[in-house]
Amino acid sequence: MRLIVHNMLQCHVKGCDSNNFPLQLSDVELEIHEIEYNHEFLQSLLTKLDWKAFVATAEQIGITSLPQTFPEEIDEDFLKKLHRILFETHIVEGKMICSNCSHEYPIRDGIPNMLLNEEELE
Amino acid sequence: MSVIILVHEEFRLPELESLAKIEDVKLTYNKEEYKKNCPFLVVNIETEEEATRLVKRAILIKNIYELWGMGETYDEVHAQVKACPERWSSYIHKSFKFMVSGFGSTCSSDYQVRIINSFSYLGFKGDIDLKNPQVQFGVLEDYGLDPYAALPPPNPYTIYFGRLIASGNRDLVQKYNLKKRNYIGNTSMDAELSLIMANQALASPGKLIYDPFVGTGSFLLTCAHFGAFTLGSDIDGRQIRGQVDRSVKSNIDQYNLGDKVLDTLVFDICYHPWRENLWFDAIVTDPPYGVRAGAKKLGRKDPTKRSRVIDGVPAHKRENYYPPTKPYEMSEVLIDLLEFAARFLVVGGRLVYWLPTIVDEYSSEDIPEHPCMILISNSEQNFGQWSRRLVTMEKFKENVEGEHASVNNAKSLDNMSLLFQKKKEGKSDGDGKDFEKTNDNDANKKPGHYLFREKYFSFKSEEKTKREQTWIRFKNKDNANDSVDNVQSSSTIPPTENILSEKPSDYNTKKPEQ
Repeated sequence: MRLIVHNMLQCHVKGCDSNNFPLQLSDVELEIHEIEYNHEFLQSLLTKLDWKAFVATAEQIGITSLPQTFPEEIDEDFLKKLHRILFETHIVEGKMICSNCSHEYPIRDGIPNMLLNEEELE
Repeated sequence: MSVIILVHEEFRLPELESLAKIEDVKLTYNKEEYKKNCPFLVVNIETEEEATRLVKRAILIKNIYELWGMGETYDEVHAQVKACPERWSSYIHKSFKFMVSGFGSTCSSDYQVRIINSFSYLGFKGDIDLKNPQVQFGVLEDYGLDPYAALPPPNPYTIYFGRLIASGNRDLVQKYNLKKRNYIGNTSMDAELSLIMANQALASPGKLIYDPFVGTGSFLLTCAHFGAFTLGSDIDGRQIRGQVDRSVKSNIDQYNLGDKVLDTLVFDICYHPWRENLWFDAIVTDPPYGVRAGAKKLGRKDPTKRSRVIDGVPAHKRENYYPPTKPYEMSEVLIDLLEFAARFLVVGGRLVYWLPTIVDEYSSEDIPEHPCMILISNSEQNFGQWSRRLVTMEKFKENVEGEHASVNNAKSLDNMSLLFQKKKEGKSDGDGKDFEKTNDNDANKKPGHYLFREKYFSFKSEEKTKREQTWIRFKNKDNANDSVDNVQSSSTIPPTENILSEKPSDYNTKKPEQ
């Protein structure tokens, strides 16, 4: 699972509707798979990114150099760095934990399991 | 300019309109002139560059020509061509090729030569080059397609003559052919329709497209092919994971789309984890309608049962846990899908999905509606007694709280569903009172997808009975093999050749009386 996708997910346990985003990463195993950099494509997805949540998540995997607010002027180097973190970094194993209700969503072979058990359904 | 299109009559115009929108090409044509049994359509486009762009990713458009002349006779065609000699002059010294083709008839080579020679007044001095000509001309004859006529008419109804501008992209159908694909399941959508769906969804670079019933991931691939980022989810992770070397991932690798297909996740769309303020540019999906893969959602059929603990670990914490599911009725799937689309699509974003339906009971009002979604197209693929419809909707305004999706006559539909369920579980009153009561209240027609699965299987069992009877009759005449072929060719054939994996006996196939 890529970090761009992690940025789109929240905890959806019944009644868990505050402080449920972003999910905390735990025991994660990362892999880098290089793909072609495309300026326009990256820009279009950045509009869908929740920057604050992304910065917090990046810190959990040891990337602390991102500014707290999205910079007004950005250069190619900065975008390439984002490309690396958002698109090329995959969480292969590990789990995502809700800060609010502590529900754990496992990730196995890069595929997150977001299924709830029956007590957690709406 | 004229367009030739070959197959899937109902899908051609929607695709043409979608392509015009994707490529921002201004296009006009006479809708009344369009006939389903004619593969030619005259359209007006301002520039050649736009015409080329329009068809470059077309699946159902074969060629686009600059129209030089058309008429019922060659005299009319030649007169129009001759009226504009300034068109010819640029091609006088180019290498060229002429093609004559008849639709609904075949043209002998003698005839083709005669036709080509009748254009000799154009006076082209360049070489004839059949392989790599600099310019190609086409003579297209339309003899119509009358299924009841023994022979085609002696003369074409319409003749078109023009210069080839560009061809569509039908080669893609081969590229994504299921037979060549590393990993497929028994509900994988065929390549051609998957590609058409990507066009209907206006898939293009930078967009984010989502399939909530992803299965083996056909739409992830075709939408990504046109440059969109794609995401998929499914309640059944086993479909996504496949086997070691055959999985959604191996398909992504096969087509080298790892930079576009973002991820596939495991969850039930009824209980999804997408965050607030997330927007998709399109939703493209083939909802499970329970013919080959029974539709399921989270929950238990028997609510008195609870989760088990195995070896001290709650079942749902174990690896490879597959949660309990209950059947998911078709109209319920559709309502949920529409509600989701209305909430999560950008304004202008599209929902493209398949709706299965019983042909005799279908009416256009069956298509589920939502106050912020508008119907763009609805194209039928017919399989005899049942068909499936490719429905394209567009979100045209923001979703207001309190506005909800509805299926025609949904209320009585729900009642019937409940009763049907009760009956199935043997909890009916026993004297059929419930059914009678509902029938009294329900004089209206029900949608053609209502209880689709049950009806589909009753067709299958009718056919089986028919087949057995025919078999016996012919067997007596020692002609058994032929009989089987005959019957099969007239039967309801499911969309792929795969065998049904579930038996109708799992369900009560009795139809409620009308």
